[in-house]
Amino acid sequence: MKQHRGDGVRRAVFTPVDNRARVETVVHRIGDAIELGLLADGEQLPGEMELAGQLGVSTVTLREALMALRQQGLVTTRRGRGGGSFVSLPEVPGEERLLARLSSWSTEELRDLGDHWAALSGAAARLAAQRTEPDDLKALRRTLDDLASAEDAAARSRVYGRFHVELAAAAQSARLTREQVVLQTEVGALMCLVLGDNEYREEVADRHRSVISAVQDGAHDSARALAERCVQDSTARLITLRLSMPRTVSGPRPLEGTHGQEPRSGRRDGDA
Amino acid sequence: MGRSPAPVGATATLDATPGATIAEAAVAAQVRCALEAVFAAVADTRADTTALLTRVAGQGRRPATVDLAALRPGLHLRLTRQELVSGAGFVAAPGLLGDVPAWLEWWQQGSDGGVRPLLLDLDPAQSAYSDYTHWDWFALPRDTGQRAVAGPYVDYLCSDEYSLTLSAPVHVEGRFVGVAAADVYLRHFEGAVVPLLQRLPGASYLVNARGRVAASADPAHLAGSLTRGPDFAAVLAAARSTRHEDLRLVPCDGVPLVLVTPAD
Repeated sequence: MKQHRGDGVRRAVFTPVDNRARVETVVHRIGDAIELGLLADGEQLPGEMELAGQLGVSTVTLREALMALRQQGLVTTRRGRGGGSFVSLPEVPGEERLLARLSSWSTEELRDLGDHWAALSGAAARLAAQRTEPDDLKALRRTLDDLASAEDAAARSRVYGRFHVELAAAAQSARLTREQVVLQTEVGALMCLVLGDNEYREEVADRHRSVISAVQDGAHDSARALAERCVQDSTARLITLRLSMPRTVSGPRPLEGTHGQEPRSGRRDGDA
Repeated sequence: MGRSPAPVGATATLDATPGATIAEAAVAAQVRCALEAVFAAVADTRADTTALLTRVAGQGRRPATVDLAALRPGLHLRLTRQELVSGAGFVAAPGLLGDVPAWLEWWQQGSDGGVRPLLLDLDPAQSAYSDYTHWDWFALPRDTGQRAVAGPYVDYLCSDEYSLTLSAPVHVEGRFVGVAAADVYLRHFEGAVVPLLQRLPGASYLVNARGRVAASADPAHLAGSLTRGPDFAAVLAAARSTRHEDLRLVPCDGVPLVLVTPAD
């Protein structure tokens, strides 16, 4: 009888996952996919049952999430024959929507996101340095070049994310790669906010170049440190931006509110 | 788990791998057989695709994605019949099809045993992964004109699995139009070949031309790690077994894998 040992831990394991957190997770996931252009304007989302199944949430949770996405103007729902939920990009400037998205993260959540990311990319860089031979670095070098030629922030953000996915693949780890892919769907939309700056793009390119060199030299400790520093610096920029935002209301992330207000009338010409 | 030093079902010809023991030559031959079965599936897809595209060309028009639907019955058959094959299809060279810039007619075995299509976002304006032409499974057959084994590698484009991809170029009227290919997940490959490796007296493993371990019965050399030192590509090119320090390197004649085993 091991009734007492680990009782608390077991209780924690079997506590139902906070439903609110699930709704937010789904809103984030789908919202980020739309911001990143993974889901195109006008594209029909799978049916509620199917989508709920794919995301591993109940249909009730999914409906709440769709409601929140509708309020953000990212999804429209049509009833009747040929109906369903469709992706709709609101006509608010992308920058504004991205800032609204950033404001839904607390600095603590951003710090934690950065910790997770640094853990993944740092471990990947170390393993890659041990397991890489020159041909494996071709993909990373190509991505480095693509970053230099990526014009807009969204393209830069996609290429930045790809570098970290490829780093995990160079580590020969399917698990690290899968985790990095999922993480990048969260990080990608946010990184658009800081990668528009050309100077920072250059800095990122330099950091990526040094990671590649360390991996190539088999210098696993410094490969890890360099990858971690690259990620930590990106996270620090996001947190600085988050703290500079006028409305820094803390507390539970509102499902409606911050940017739910009439998204289609939000365009302001000459917006900075 | 006992390792029997007795030769395994010796179908190998000794002259194909001079210098190897009968048991080693037999293991190399069986590894080759396992992958040849997958290459046979690739060859079937290639034949179907060549016939299909030649027929379309004969009608004086450009092929489109709808034409490739005719490949599906064959692909489904190969996915269900071929135990090692978990993904199969034809990957078009960009610009081949009239209705889309790029396309993978690709089908995968689901965890429920069902067969489902791979749907990728290949719009370069949307996806950072839209260009697939640099992956080894595409570039090697295109550049060499020969069939190829890519990997082991993490396939984050199609399956998210650690995989080997076997592929062959498809040509129509002398022009490269894409590759026929099949995915073998490394865990399934391991299931097929590690029991063979375990029958050898010494801790043995298989590496690709670049020295990456593809399957191993040696805890010191796990799948995915690199074996540095020997020139495995040269061993494969010479197609004869050789000795490197205290190791014997036996090419799996016909497929680009080398059996690495302690030399006595």
